[in-house]
Amino acid sequence: MSTDTEHGTDTGTGSGTGTGTGRGTPPRNPEGALDLDKLFTARLQAARARPYLASALFALHTVETRQVPTMGVDRYWRCYVSPDFVDRTPVEELASVWVHEVSHLLRDHHGRSDRVAKERDLTGPGDRLRMNIAADCEINDDAFGDGLVTPSGAVLPSSLKLPAGQLMEEYLWEFRLGPRTRELAWLDCGSGADGLERGWELGPDGAHALSEQERDAVRFRVAQGIKGRPGSAPEGWKRWAEEAFHPPQPWRALLGAAVRSAASAPGAGEDYSYGRPSRRSAGVPGAVLPSLRRRPPHVSVIIDTSGSVSDAELGSALLEVAAISRAVGGRRDLVTVVPCDAAARIAHPLCRAEGIPLLGGGGTDLRAGFARALRGHPRPDVVVVLTDGQTPWPSSRPPCRTVVGLFPRHHDHTTWDEDDPDYVPDSPPDWARVVHIG
Amino acid sequence: MPTRTPFALPADAEPISQLDVAADLLTMLRSTTTEPRPDIQLEALTLAVAADLPVLLWGEPGIGKTAALTQLAASLDLPLTTVIASVHEPSDFSGLPIVGDDPAEQGVPMAPPDWAVRLVRAGRGLLFLDELSTAPPAVQAALLRLVLERRIGALQLPPDVRIVAAANPRSSAADGWELSPPLANRFVHLQWTHDHEVVVRGLGGTWPRATLPLLAPERLAEAVDFARRAVCTLLAARPKLVHQLPNSESRRGGPWPSPRSWEMTLRLIAFATAAGVSRDVLSLLVRGTVGDGPGLELLAALDRLDLPDPEVLLADPMAEELPQRGDLRQAVLDGVVAAVRSRPDKARWEAAWAVLVRALETGAPDLVVVPATTLASLRRDDWDVPTEIENLAGVVLLSRRADEAAARAKTATKARR
Repeated sequence: MSTDTEHGTDTGTGSGTGTGTGRGTPPRNPEGALDLDKLFTARLQAARARPYLASALFALHTVETRQVPTMGVDRYWRCYVSPDFVDRTPVEELASVWVHEVSHLLRDHHGRSDRVAKERDLTGPGDRLRMNIAADCEINDDAFGDGLVTPSGAVLPSSLKLPAGQLMEEYLWEFRLGPRTRELAWLDCGSGADGLERGWELGPDGAHALSEQERDAVRFRVAQGIKGRPGSAPEGWKRWAEEAFHPPQPWRALLGAAVRSAASAPGAGEDYSYGRPSRRSAGVPGAVLPSLRRRPPHVSVIIDTSGSVSDAELGSALLEVAAISRAVGGRRDLVTVVPCDAAARIAHPLCRAEGIPLLGGGGTDLRAGFARALRGHPRPDVVVVLTDGQTPWPSSRPPCRTVVGLFPRHHDHTTWDEDDPDYVPDSPPDWARVVHIG
Repeated sequence: MPTRTPFALPADAEPISQLDVAADLLTMLRSTTTEPRPDIQLEALTLAVAADLPVLLWGEPGIGKTAALTQLAASLDLPLTTVIASVHEPSDFSGLPIVGDDPAEQGVPMAPPDWAVRLVRAGRGLLFLDELSTAPPAVQAALLRLVLERRIGALQLPPDVRIVAAANPRSSAADGWELSPPLANRFVHLQWTHDHEVVVRGLGGTWPRATLPLLAPERLAEAVDFARRAVCTLLAARPKLVHQLPNSESRRGGPWPSPRSWEMTLRLIAFATAAGVSRDVLSLLVRGTVGDGPGLELLAALDRLDLPDPEVLLADPMAEELPQRGDLRQAVLDGVVAAVRSRPDKARWEAAWAVLVRALETGAPDLVVVPATTLASLRRDDWDVPTEIENLAGVVLLSRRADEAAARAKTATKARR
């Protein structure tokens, strides 16, 4: 890497490229200028191999610079290219590098790196290199093949002895810089991959920067294209398209919000009421002042699972509900648990440890569980159902607010009904707020 | 027991009051400078307040929402009244029922609190309702009535009083407060975040000073026209976007599209256009009114409105500049080819070739390939090949090389398997 401080030369948009005069071989570049023809040929091949990424590829603005080792992007969608790298790399590998670099930007690796760095206080230069490697792993496990070659020296999860199909944030924890990553230290995809500004980058005020809104617009268009024609894109990209603008929230937050809002709705918790006059009314003759009343919410948890939910998953969900109920002012004795048949064995030790009263007789399915919970005294304000959905639901709306924590079903090793393989259980009814757990 | 306090002074010195020294120190701490720095959050808030729409700021506690409101009030020249909702009772906002001599005959009047009476008497002001989400439900209900109906007890707030509310996001609120969808639909939701760099510089003594957007009186008619065209073009093509209740748990309590929120969006686009603010500001406003998905679709439609019209280019290929950005340029070329396909005739077909040649002369060659291939396939037997095609030889070569590379890649990946 040269150390001179010349800034990248703007290649504009490639005007004046010798519009091929029939040269069969790629031209050698004695003066070392960037071979734009070769670079754009590669971009065309990339756009043909991955049509759903075409508009993102064309949105990149190329900048020629001798300081970047290979090719790198910054968060403003500029792509810095080393002329030497273009000269020594075959077109089909350049095409793969194009796809790789644009993937960093589409997947917002710079923003996610900044967030991870802030959350976990990762401030060392080695940390940003690890983020770049982790981001490469996320992209490369399904980027190549199917018309694109794997470029030489590409970081694959398998080369770090890691499983494929994970996200950058997960990979980040699974390796340290060491002998296995030593040969990757030259790797540099620019600040677009890890959020750390590089010396050759033009920064936010340089020419041809995409503003945040423009970047979102490009990403949104690519995501819409993938959703509209889901046939051609691999699973990883489909998942990205679904979540690009609706990142999934952690289930704990969602379950917490659902239980809290149900438990603190009017009629429960702390609220003002005109039912009894305030004690201060005597001082304000003629005015009617409301008084503050507390009625701690009563939460009933029905557990109905078959064998497909692990004890740990169920336990964490139950403890979560208990903790939230306490936070909204429910006393320990106002959280009750009604286990249906199969779940009793898990619920018993948990409730004993936490001091939660356990109601027996939940019956064999959810409908009986509901009936048992509603017979309790005091009547519950909120019923939280923890289930994997393989159960018949009550036919009518119960007289209390209902939150459903739905565990994922594992299709591969359970069938709903051995006598009837076509049986699919009903989805939760729409009078319940449903949170998918896990 | 020490016999000397640390503050003991020599006997012959003039006694200085410790409080005076403390006051001097506080004065020194308060003297800070400001520097100009664009702040898109504040610009978006200014426009929403100017447009007289109810705003809800979602932000973590203690990140400077009040400071922003103070600056906004100064720039709009309105007196600021801050009310911390969580320390009030519902009767402070809904009024106190005063039982008179004959309630059945006269009704029960709701007496407003004194600060409301003062606000109405002043006739103008900025009312900031902070900590909405930590108040008891009855207080929240009374507050929402104040924000949405602009009534305090029996008093109607004058139109020159602007109201901004603030709430803590669901993740950090102690009780997980959330708005029901009908209420969420009535607000412009702005996510308030702090900028790390701004905070560090501010604590070092230099706070940012944002230039707030100003409405230009001469642009009003153009702004209304643009806003109506933008929203109507999109909704005519995408009827599904007109009304979509939030369906997933994670989108509850946030903005969603309905005829009402589209009307608010239209108003905000007009204000943003009249003030000439950047697309980033408009993006915050639109996405905070109809939600992310519909908001982004609207912004994409606005981008398309900015592109040259294919028909204009076909009438005169030199009429308009082609956009510099590759993806927008490709969209224009695709539009030109699609226009020829929908109404093919020889003159239009040749004009389209002229546009492609112009694109090749001024930009990257690879994005001309697909439009050129499609255009070539539209040729009728009796049309002669225009001479311009000579200039596209480079594109053909580029395309052929890309094909060769793709073939090599195919054999390489096959060999690996």
